[in-house]
Amino acid sequence: MNTMKKLSKFKLLIGSAFLIIAGTIVGCGEDFLNAPPQGSLDEVTLANESGVEATLIGTYRVLGGWSTGIGGGWGAASSNWTFGSVASDDAYKGSENTDQPDIEDIEYYTWGLSGAEAYLNDKWRSVWEGVVRSNSTIRLLNSVQESDAPIGDAVANSIRGEALFLRAHFHFEAWKMWGNIPYFTEEDTETRKSNVGVDAVSLILADLNQAISLLPNTPRNGQVGRVTAWTAKAYKGRVEAYSGDLASALTTLRDVRQNGPYALEEDFHRVWTGFEDFQNGPETILVYQASVNDGNPGGDNANWGERLNFPHGGPLGTCCGFHQPSQNLANAFIVDGDGLPLAVSSPGTWNNNDDYIGSDSSLPLDPRIDWTIGRHGVPYLDWGPHAASWVRDPNFGGEYNSKKNVHEIASGSQSNVGWVPSQLNGVNFHLYRYADMLLLLAEAEVEHGSLENARAIVNEIRARAAVGVQGPGDDASTISVPIDDPSITWADYQVGQYPGPWTNQATARQAVRWERRVELGMEGHRFFDLRRWGTYQDVLNAYIQVERTRLAKLGNAAPLEGRHQWYAIPEIQIELSRVDGEETLVQNPGW
Amino acid sequence: MKDKKLRIHHIIDALRPGFYTIVKAFLSMILVVFIQSTAFGQQIDVSGTVTGEDGNSIPGVSILVQGTSTGTTTNIDGEYSLTAPSDGTLIFSYIGYIRQEVAINGRNTIDIVLQESIALLDELIVTGYSTQRRADITGAVASIDIESASRVTSASVLQRLDGRVSGVTVDAGGSPGSRSTVRIRGISSFGNNEPLYIVDGTPVQDSFMNFLSPNDIESIQVLKDASSASIYGSRANNGVIIIETKKGTEGAPQVEVNIRTGMATPVNSYDSFLFTDALEYHQILKAVHENAGLAVPTNTYGNPNSPAIPNYIWPNDGRNPTNSLAPFGLTEDDYVWGQASQQQNQIMPGSAGTNWWDAVFGTGYTQDYNVAVSGGGANNRYNVSFNYFDQEGTAAYNRFQRGTIRVNTDFSLGNLTIGENIALTLEESYGGLGGDYLGEGNIMGKNILQQPIVPIYDIGGNFASGKAPGLGNMSNPLKIAYNNRDDKGKYTRVFGNTFVRYNVMEKVVVQSRLGFNLSFGNGTNFNARFPEDSEPSFSESISEFQNNSREWTWSNTATYMDTFGERHNVNVLVGQEAIESQYRGINGSLGQLVTTDINARYIQDAIGNPDTKNVSSGGSIGSLLSFFGKVDYNYDQRYNLSATVRRDGSSRLGPNNRWGTFPALSAGWRISNESFMQDNDFFSNIMIRAGYGVTGNQSIPGGRAFDLFGGGTGDTFYAIGGGNGIVTGYRQDALGNPDLKWEENTSVNAGLDLEFFEGRFNFVLDVYERTTDNLLFAPGLPATAGRANAPIVNIGKMQNTGFDFTIGYRGNISRDLNLSISFNGSHYKNEILRIDGEQDSFQGPISSRFGNAVINEVGKPIGSFRGLKTDGIFANQAEVDAHVTQAGAKPGRFRFVDVNGDGEITLEDRTIIGDPHPDFIGGLDLELQYKNWDFNANIFGTFGNDIFDVQKEFYVFRNFNTNVRTDLLTKSAIVENGQVTNIGSAIYPRLDISDTFSNEQSSFFVEDGSYVRLRSLQVGYSFPPDVVPGMRNLRLFVQAENLFTITGYSGLDPALPALGASSGGIDVRDQARGMDRGSYPSNKTLTFGVSAVFN
Repeated sequence: MNTMKKLSKFKLLIGSAFLIIAGTIVGCGEDFLNAPPQGSLDEVTLANESGVEATLIGTYRVLGGWSTGIGGGWGAASSNWTFGSVASDDAYKGSENTDQPDIEDIEYYTWGLSGAEAYLNDKWRSVWEGVVRSNSTIRLLNSVQESDAPIGDAVANSIRGEALFLRAHFHFEAWKMWGNIPYFTEEDTETRKSNVGVDAVSLILADLNQAISLLPNTPRNGQVGRVTAWTAKAYKGRVEAYSGDLASALTTLRDVRQNGPYALEEDFHRVWTGFEDFQNGPETILVYQASVNDGNPGGDNANWGERLNFPHGGPLGTCCGFHQPSQNLANAFIVDGDGLPLAVSSPGTWNNNDDYIGSDSSLPLDPRIDWTIGRHGVPYLDWGPHAASWVRDPNFGGEYNSKKNVHEIASGSQSNVGWVPSQLNGVNFHLYRYADMLLLLAEAEVEHGSLENARAIVNEIRARAAVGVQGPGDDASTISVPIDDPSITWADYQVGQYPGPWTNQATARQAVRWERRVELGMEGHRFFDLRRWGTYQDVLNAYIQVERTRLAKLGNAAPLEGRHQWYAIPEIQIELSRVDGEETLVQNPGW
Repeated sequence: MKDKKLRIHHIIDALRPGFYTIVKAFLSMILVVFIQSTAFGQQIDVSGTVTGEDGNSIPGVSILVQGTSTGTTTNIDGEYSLTAPSDGTLIFSYIGYIRQEVAINGRNTIDIVLQESIALLDELIVTGYSTQRRADITGAVASIDIESASRVTSASVLQRLDGRVSGVTVDAGGSPGSRSTVRIRGISSFGNNEPLYIVDGTPVQDSFMNFLSPNDIESIQVLKDASSASIYGSRANNGVIIIETKKGTEGAPQVEVNIRTGMATPVNSYDSFLFTDALEYHQILKAVHENAGLAVPTNTYGNPNSPAIPNYIWPNDGRNPTNSLAPFGLTEDDYVWGQASQQQNQIMPGSAGTNWWDAVFGTGYTQDYNVAVSGGGANNRYNVSFNYFDQEGTAAYNRFQRGTIRVNTDFSLGNLTIGENIALTLEESYGGLGGDYLGEGNIMGKNILQQPIVPIYDIGGNFASGKAPGLGNMSNPLKIAYNNRDDKGKYTRVFGNTFVRYNVMEKVVVQSRLGFNLSFGNGTNFNARFPEDSEPSFSESISEFQNNSREWTWSNTATYMDTFGERHNVNVLVGQEAIESQYRGINGSLGQLVTTDINARYIQDAIGNPDTKNVSSGGSIGSLLSFFGKVDYNYDQRYNLSATVRRDGSSRLGPNNRWGTFPALSAGWRISNESFMQDNDFFSNIMIRAGYGVTGNQSIPGGRAFDLFGGGTGDTFYAIGGGNGIVTGYRQDALGNPDLKWEENTSVNAGLDLEFFEGRFNFVLDVYERTTDNLLFAPGLPATAGRANAPIVNIGKMQNTGFDFTIGYRGNISRDLNLSISFNGSHYKNEILRIDGEQDSFQGPISSRFGNAVINEVGKPIGSFRGLKTDGIFANQAEVDAHVTQAGAKPGRFRFVDVNGDGEITLEDRTIIGDPHPDFIGGLDLELQYKNWDFNANIFGTFGNDIFDVQKEFYVFRNFNTNVRTDLLTKSAIVENGQVTNIGSAIYPRLDISDTFSNEQSSFFVEDGSYVRLRSLQVGYSFPPDVVPGMRNLRLFVQAENLFTITGYSGLDPALPALGASSGGIDVRDQARGMDRGSYPSNKTLTFGVSAVFN
């Protein structure tokens, strides 16, 4: 009896326990199922001034093209070394035949193949990431301005102006590549937009005009990386020039030249350098502010897109020997007895030289060759004389190495971390510098008929080229020396002034364009310049005809045709653009 | 009442720091395990004969006095005798026969007729939250033959399932302890397709399952269709595999010892089809240049017409072979290793022929020890086991070790049963390719394709590599293995559950089960400097991670079983379940180490450059709450009906759509029990079954209902002020979708079970259609949407249709010869029906050097291969001219098909060129028993699956100047005077280094991956009982695995793992199947084993 009672009591207990369990679980069910995201920020945290500012910083970051942090591949390098340089007469792919063969599709103008597609897709993704971040900044700014705690007008206007400028820049990069692009603003919610009939240039200019009206004249907070109204004006002139509206460019760029804050660096060495003291000088309009040893474990903020473009071997301990200058580019620096480009004074013969231009060459040279090209026997900044063993495979890349993106040992701007840290440095890659702008203005002056103005600009640039040349030293003051320094044993440097006056427009045009080539060589502009001038087919087909005798692999190159006006839009992006089975992006003609 | 409530809270509290509770419980149960009670009456002698139904006596039958260790076995004539208590019970058991318990009742002679247990219909099968008679199952449920599965050497039980049950595929590499990709009836989602495993009632999703010692497994059931699996609701989309570990049975302690030791070699090797002789390789080098009209490089071999192995490959001036160090101003005494400024001084000799495969792969040894003690008294049962498993990989410096302790007990206190099943596992491993994240940069990939002229070691005894121009940019694969040898991943796992079961009334049982799954992991990684590489690095770094995860599952069920009017059998289950999981991990790194001493590999400021120190942590939480019920009804053992419903709420889904309901219904008709079949003695069982059900999937990262923002120093931070000081930046990480809901899988299954010839033959066939709708996935957005993870949406739709069957025979050919054969086969067809409603295709997650070869396209199977179609080789210029425009077309190069007919070969001509899914998979199990000998074989075959051989980028197209296939010399197109002279036999394009066109991803990369493999072959001998006193059972065996493979695949091993791949935090490996990126080959194993049972 007692047991029975116990048992039933026990039953009751168990039963109640189950009831309670069920009750507890059901009762707190919805709470139980609340599992907030871990380790993330939400919109509310961001919706204030510091959130908007940080989102803007994230937008600036994309100026660097790509890194492991941002994603993409070498094709996303903001220097455009593949699309602007390897695709032109400035440079070969370099390295070995079997390393990054994708680039050969670009070099051989077979832009419809899968290798080119991979690189084009990198670039495509990179520029649109920039546009997306610009628009996020503007949207977030708008929501904060509508809230109870808006940002003060001066700051808010500048933020908006900076974001609009960056949006214009990224769209311009896309337009430069593909011509037919969609345009995305902060009001777009749809991520698929057509690229048919879009007047991208007008939209870019509209954004730039608005940015000019909103931006301050000096960098906000004194932070040199920020764009100003002058940056936007100079950029506007660039867009006008690239779109063929040289008359407008003339007006815009004259204003910048006369009233703006820019000037040429005294010494060419200060343009491309790892020395922090030299960076962000008067010539800088827009750079990617590369940074090393800043706490990132991979060196992601360094000049990442350029990291293949170092000598292969030698004391730098680097690889991989990509983006090697062409013999054609080396010849471009040959000058005549007056120190003027042979290409201008003797257009039929300048490229007859098939011989390697090493330190033993007796040819008179524009000294900028040794800020642009690594040549055997010539000091390679302060790394000692460039040697044959620094070249990866002369059969496929020739004997020259690129140089502008390389840092000086003495600058200390080398990374401590990352894959081959010596290939990661703090050299700020110029996206737009004052010499570039001046030469665009000179083009506009030529077309306007004011040839003497053009000559003045060209001579100003040539005068600067004569100030400092590659020297034998190992510190900031001796890496660059005067042109007549007796320590120079590796070259006969000459850079002369064009005597006046210029009277022939065609000659002036040729002189300005050649100046642009030698001043901006290997900076990723050349292909886009040739296309702008409408000479890309003539110049590059002629280049290939000659250059294939120097580098046999170029025999693979396809002839340049009208379709090379624009790069092929990556096929994958066309596939992804489909809405209801219809492609919203339309491929460029011929691809 | 208040007190009781408190107690509940105690329990809940105990769950959170549950580990301590569990340890306490664990210890106390070990103590209790050995307590047992037995009773003895008066001892008498008992003897008799055991025969089968056919009248023949059965030797070797085990006879045990219940509750004691007293026992014997029958002799060759089936006779036995022993001493036993007069009121005791004898247990007769023999494999293949139904166990019998017979009360002695004072008798001295007891003759027994044992029934063969061919008819398994009465076998109890553990299915969802309950057990069922096999005869009553109306869904598609298959059992694994554990004996057969035990004949595979692997750390994980998952790798033993391959080919052993119809409808289940398993893909795994040969690396010890590596991940398994188990798929049941095809692929249901773009994302997670992992089956749900229920181990002793506790759910777990784990692709490795290394914590579970295969020796501990009693049974495995596979719930293949929704009507059987939907009781597990939201996680059952991909099928459910129910694993029960061994429990004790009443009787004296029985000690079972299993020891196995074996050795393994790879099933195939690269040296069987790649060059191992440097001068032979030079012929390729010569041909690719000469045919391109280019000078042959002379910097290594010298004059191409009289090539020679140089004394040194490095230093090298890039122009001439280095036979003397003098031109570099060096002698061997100047040798220096590892400094950027003295690269020339790392001196490496030329090798006449390095066999890189041999350098890395060889023989690996395996040991497996298992000791188990089991038994029980009237009120308790226990099974305690200890396992130590140690498997070396066939690759150098690759090893997996595991130790497991398992304690399974239960205690009966009247109507109350309490118990626990718990395992504590320690795992340690290094080297190998366990996670299947295969690429170029490990011991396989391209590194093992170093040229044969590259030596393994330099003159200083340090690792060498191909530093000179033309020798590629690979790293030394042996060095990679060597450097990984201290990179141990260590895991501690506690997995198990405790339960209380109470028979409230005779027909009502309530049960509460608390399961837990705790894991603690840590590991270190050392990144060496590689000064010897063509692309050198000069700095060392270390990284380290610590993580822990814990999950508890609390399930409460009540069952009611009754029979009305003798013919109505009803079984009702209701239940509720709550699951909470947490994960947290931290990792860090430090670069520019000042010492590489193993004991100094800690992240501390003084040990490296403190500026390079980096630490981050992350985590996730999730919960699931469920209610479910099930009713099984059968009428007169003829008509079965089963209905289930489950309702689940998940924290991962949008607040608006958190709850989902998953119903299922199935029915069966046992025709053989109908009166009109009573006279039929051909069929012993005929059952037709049909089921319909809905299951779910919620396997997505937590928090994806919301927009997420973040940033990183290398991603959004920027030096806005110039210099090297970066400023914080943000970006959007992920787009949220507050409407996220369940992925739903609707499945229809029809089945037929047959047994005939007195049950000697059996046949099971199931046909099914599974349609997944509202697929949870984030299809790629165009780049114009930015880089933030796309929102996960419920739009996609996918279908699998197929059938699976098993046909078997069991019987004795003669008195001494028993035979059992079982063949299972399965087929599925996967088809994508919808992606996001807008796109009709999206690319796979993995790109190789030459592009992305995977496309997921509406109307096609997931993970199809895409590329150009090759149409042979251009024989001459006339063929080139007659062809549409094709970049780089020349005689001797591949001709591609103008699929879209636009007159030009472009990327738009890419089309589907292969399907990684098999058309048919079959497994054959064969068992023979002759007297004391037994012989077993298992053969596995897969047919119609394609492989995309990514390695052809290297060993055919020589990307990065790798080693290549030797048959390139004989089977490449030969062009003479503009005409291909071997057009009929050439399978490769002309050797031509400037041919950057033939290597477009094309059908050339795709091969038939079908193969048939002798998975295992085992011969065993069982000693007669008591040959060794006290040893009831002693068996020795020799076993071979993967002895031979029949395949047309030209690569290393057609048995490939699905490549590790994730996209936006979602496991998408099913979009990377059948890709050969240098997978770790399967093992050919020879094992010797002994198993013994002691009384």
